[in-house]
Amino acid sequence: MSSHHSRFTCSPAQKRLQKELVSLIKEPPPGVIIDGESVGQSLDLLVLSINGAQGTIYEGEQFQLQFRFGPKYPFDSPEVVFVGSEIPVHPHVYSNGHICLSILTDDWSPALSIFSVCVSIISMLSSCKEKKRPPDDSMYVKTCSKNPKKTKWWYHDEEV
Amino acid sequence: MAVDEEPDTTAKNSAGGENTENKRNESRGEEERAFECNICLDTAKDAVISMCGHLFCWPCLHQWLETRPNRQSCPVCKAAISRDKVIPLYGRGGSKEDPREKLPPRPQGQRTEPENTGAFSNFGFDGGFQMSFGIGAFPFGLFASTFNFGDPVIRAHGTNPANLEDERFLSQLFLWVAILFIFWLLVA
Repeated sequence: MSSHHSRFTCSPAQKRLQKELVSLIKEPPPGVIIDGESVGQSLDLLVLSINGAQGTIYEGEQFQLQFRFGPKYPFDSPEVVFVGSEIPVHPHVYSNGHICLSILTDDWSPALSIFSVCVSIISMLSSCKEKKRPPDDSMYVKTCSKNPKKTKWWYHDEEV
Repeated sequence: MAVDEEPDTTAKNSAGGENTENKRNESRGEEERAFECNICLDTAKDAVISMCGHLFCWPCLHQWLETRPNRQSCPVCKAAISRDKVIPLYGRGGSKEDPREKLPPRPQGQRTEPENTGAFSNFGFDGGFQMSFGIGAFPFGLFASTFNFGDPVIRAHGTNPANLEDERFLSQLFLWVAILFIFWLLVA
């Protein structure tokens, strides 16, 4: 399965991404589905599916999560957004798919990974008790940049 | 990985084979992974360990410390960390050099101050002040320099008589220019 990655001669960023992808395909976090065939196409873009965990308000729903990796990964955080028609209705997820989660910007660390970002997002969804959009959703969606990393986020709510 | 090694087995057989293969890989892998850098996920090269016990390649950690020079924290546990608070690890093989010395000191990043958002206040103070001063003081400045002239004791550096002559000529020229200017101001 790793053969189609190894033909790249690569930068440290790509080398680390390959390592992550190999172990991610082998053992994805619970609730995450990765299409192994589509992964090798481009190393800087990854789309995977997330299933709402059992016993939570998102049970039975499936969402597409898109990762985009810059050349400075893992020193720079990946750009992570929900894509597709199903965007989870959650107080920290805007209707355009942008996610307000501190580890995606200020609190990013190079020891974090695709795996740990998935786990954080699943846990963020699972701990939610009520489906609602952020209060400033319509305003933000109209005015924001395409890249959520350009948003100056305020992380004021530690509960959900 | 196991699939590559056994490409010809049928689906059922390869599922069984994969398990034993995986177990072998895992036991071997776990030992190696214990010495992997927490940043590049490769076996740590030029290894250093933080006070909080986390292992990194020095080049990897160095790059992270430079990424956030004002907020240096351990990538794994966010404890405080710095260049002087990591310990180089020397195994039996390999170099005995301190990896922190080996890494060529990189050129310092260049940092410019953010642009002043109140651009107008900047202009109003500097530009405006100089402008009005220039116009108001111009003719009197000429007078001042002119009347300072002609005193060889004060202007001791003009030892060369030719220079002195030149200066005297210039001073008179400026004096006339200044007088003409004042006259023009009065008439206009």
